[in-house]
Amino acid sequence: MTARSLPPSVIATLPGGYYTDENVFALEQARVFESMWFCVARASDLGKPGAFRTVQVGRESVLVTRARDGSIRAFLNVCRHRGARIRTEESGEVKRAFQCPYHAWTYDLEGRLIAAPNLTKMPDLDRVEYGLVNVAVREWIGYVWVCLADEPPSFEADVIGEATARLGDERAIESYDIANLAVGRRIVYDVRANWKLIVENFMECYHCATIHPELTEVLPEFADGYAAQSFVGHGAEFGEEVQGFTVDGSAGVDRIPGVGEEQDRRYYAITIKPQVFVNLVPDHVILHRMFPLAADRTIVECDWLFLKDVVDAGTDLGPSVELFHRVNEQDFAACERCQPAMNSRAYARGGVLVPSEHHIGAFHDWVIGKLGTGSG
Amino acid sequence: MIPVCPLAALPPGEAHRLDVDPPIAVFHTEDGEIYAVDDTCTHQDASLSDGWLEGCEIECPLHASSFDLRTGRPTTLPAKLPLRTHRVVVSDDTVYVVPSEEPPNLPPGVRAGTA
Repeated sequence: MTARSLPPSVIATLPGGYYTDENVFALEQARVFESMWFCVARASDLGKPGAFRTVQVGRESVLVTRARDGSIRAFLNVCRHRGARIRTEESGEVKRAFQCPYHAWTYDLEGRLIAAPNLTKMPDLDRVEYGLVNVAVREWIGYVWVCLADEPPSFEADVIGEATARLGDERAIESYDIANLAVGRRIVYDVRANWKLIVENFMECYHCATIHPELTEVLPEFADGYAAQSFVGHGAEFGEEVQGFTVDGSAGVDRIPGVGEEQDRRYYAITIKPQVFVNLVPDHVILHRMFPLAADRTIVECDWLFLKDVVDAGTDLGPSVELFHRVNEQDFAACERCQPAMNSRAYARGGVLVPSEHHIGAFHDWVIGKLGTGSG
Repeated sequence: MIPVCPLAALPPGEAHRLDVDPPIAVFHTEDGEIYAVDDTCTHQDASLSDGWLEGCEIECPLHASSFDLRTGRPTTLPAKLPLRTHRVVVSDDTVYVVPSEEPPNLPPGVRAGTA
């Protein structure tokens, strides 16, 4: 790739092929999604022992469950006998064990092989060695993160560190007590766009005044196009007339008690690479998890979390949920508008980032560094 | 009479597989009773000592047939034939079984003497 000569106010994006090329996506699966900590589920999705979810992480299907001792476990969703998928549903519950539907190899909730036809005739078959393949698991802020790498990177640096770097203080996120909030609403979006377009979109606000009328009413400073994510510890302030983070600026629900005065009436956004966005407002938290399935397709699961009492009381969450649901639809429509054009010869060398988007360049450098595709 | 294990090695809720031919499973129920039955499910070759003990029933880990440990009778399909039961003796803090002299109901493809 020959260096482009660009006017000083803009810098280059990635070339269009990074968003469409199957080889690039395969590298991302191996070197990003299968190598880093990847957020797969809300811990409360796995309410009791035997509850499970299956999730796509890079090229692998991962079976996440809760064991009898209450701990969360994750396994590659592959029978050790002849390779059948153990479970194909997105979620469900088993009583005591996972049994392969093909030859009935049976694994307990810790993954050990506990039964199989004629297993007693094969005493040399070690039940752990031939158990389901374990995947590293961590729980943080009430979410389950897995890592498929043999030697996982530091969770503290790569995951918690991102939140600390954005908020400027490692305790700032704790004020929201996210682990103890309840899921008030979950919406799953099937987005026909590359995951990086979704990350880039989330990181900048140059588009906000154009496509997010409701959001810029609530957060007037977003209309100037300067992203909350280029500053450390800065939360965008609610407009003077705005009572809450709702679609019409009406009052929200009960404030999370730990949220201090300095965090009140502000919106904070965090990108935890590669696939999580955390949005903090005084009375709720919105968390996006992306599951990149193909170069041009990404499933986004978005949770709206509120105080448990608020959810249990049947409080109307509609106005709160509707605001970011619209933002999501507006953002994903924009990403889907870009995706087909990534193949155009007009975009073969990419586009440009204006000054309020320059921090996205650091994301591009990070991607190139992970993939090892830099020209040196 | 065959010694199985010290009583202390078989706490309530646990099972011990006695490697005789055919193998015998000894269970100590949560209620404190000790029962011995054939270890091999009568439906397909699977070890009941790896199954799930609930009350005085054992559920096969393979296809969820359940058997009443007191009688050996199947209480849940797919197993249809009963397990043999064996007399249990606890003496000097050791568990013993007295193997049944009835012919066993082994599943297809499993014969005594081929284990």
